Amino acid sequence: MCDQTFLAATFGPCDNCSANRPLMNIYLKNEPINYCSLCVELMACQGLAPGETLASLKTESENLKVKLEEERAKLHDVELHQVAEKVEALGQFVMKTRRTLKGHGNKVLCTDWCRDKRRIVSSSQDGKVIVWDAYTTNKEHAVTMPCTWVMACAYAPSGCAIACGGLDNKCSVYPLSLDKNENLAAKKKSVAMHTNYLSACSFTNSDMQILTSSGDGTCALWDVESGQLLQSFHGHTADVLTLDLGPSETSNIFISGGCDKKANVWDMRSGQNIQSFETHDSDINAVKFYPSGDAFASGSDDATCRLFDLRADREVAIYSKESIIFGASSVDFSLSGRLLFAGYNDYTINVWDVLKGTRVAILFGHENRVSTVRVSPDGTAFCSGSWDNTLRIWA
Amino acid sequence: MEAGKVCSSNSVLQARRAVEQLRLEASLERIRISVAATQLVQYCQEHGRSDPLLTGIAASSNPFKDKKTCVLL
Repeated sequence: MCDQTFLAATFGPCDNCSANRPLMNIYLKNEPINYCSLCVELMACQGLAPGETLASLKTESENLKVKLEEERAKLHDVELHQVAEKVEALGQFVMKTRRTLKGHGNKVLCTDWCRDKRRIVSSSQDGKVIVWDAYTTNKEHAVTMPCTWVMACAYAPSGCAIACGGLDNKCSVYPLSLDKNENLAAKKKSVAMHTNYLSACSFTNSDMQILTSSGDGTCALWDVESGQLLQSFHGHTADVLTLDLGPSETSNIFISGGCDKKANVWDMRSGQNIQSFETHDSDINAVKFYPSGDAFASGSDDATCRLFDLRADREVAIYSKESIIFGASSVDFSLSGRLLFAGYNDYTINVWDVLKGTRVAILFGHENRVSTVRVSPDGTAFCSGSWDNTLRIWA
Repeated sequence: MEAGKVCSSNSVLQARRAVEQLRLEASLERIRISVAATQLVQYCQEHGRSDPLLTGIAASSNPFKDKKTCVLL
């Protein structure tokens, strides 16, 4: 649960003075503390080292920010597209809609591929979550959620379960059965609980753990079997809209982006915020790791997509055009990382050359905002979901 | 009056957290962009050949592309 959306939400005995007062739910080193406002104040004053005041802390923080920027700028010796000048230019791309998946009654908000490269799960504003066979366009399973705006859905690595959530503030896992007549809703398991809407969810390497991000400003790692909170991640100062896990099986980091314009890199085991990037001018709607895991791309409402390198700790490329004025809602890389597919609110999908920073193709077809773009696990096609209620497979 | 004090203690905690976070970030080891960029380019070159969307694979091996059928006239 996050402490940043409200000041005092509970009333009860204070952990320190035992008086019945409105409590401030705060976190110290990830431990929740319920102190009344008087005790919080006393603790804060005791915590101040001699000579430290609020003003001195603020100046120190400003100085550190300036120093950080100087350190980063020192290493900014060349641009990515300059290094990529000797790389062969890409030829013309012909990508067409090969399948259109129709069946949702309202806006498609999220999609995910199964590792078998042919199944797709999609969730919609009408509360339905559908599992499709992308080769035949048949619907294999359908679940009706008890809430509308199912903003997040994910396929388990084994292909035997799906997770989804949205305005119900929860993430629920449904095991998929081969028996068509079985009622999937009966086997539903509620795993995550947030204090605001669920914006994104993803299984880690196994079916046993799920990572979620929420409108309450936090991300959290949960154990699926017990529903227990394993780790929580605090640091965003506004809604977290998106997350992505490191691509390698041994990496222990994930990235998140939110309405505070920041993209944060987190250590999954300690809950620590390792790095933070704040160059976007508006909400970050999507973040996605580069296939090597050393960089990531982000798409934002400021109509740009940007590439950030983790080891250089800096933004290394920006993908924008004056003619693109609508926000990017979703991004994904092709298998080699050379192409970046980005879905925009102007109903188009732009394909960018990641290294040279130029646009190589613009795909039309959807009749409303493109809300999600996902490349298939073997890279043979990518799927886009839109507010026009359909999904399209492009190859 | 108390409301003012409450706000200040909250901001002391926040300011302190911000300073600690910034100290952590400042101590990070960074590499130059020229090195990072070269590695990104290298990765693309190495994996470009096996990227179906980049190189384009034949219709017969792509399950999504429709195979051309023979029409007997």
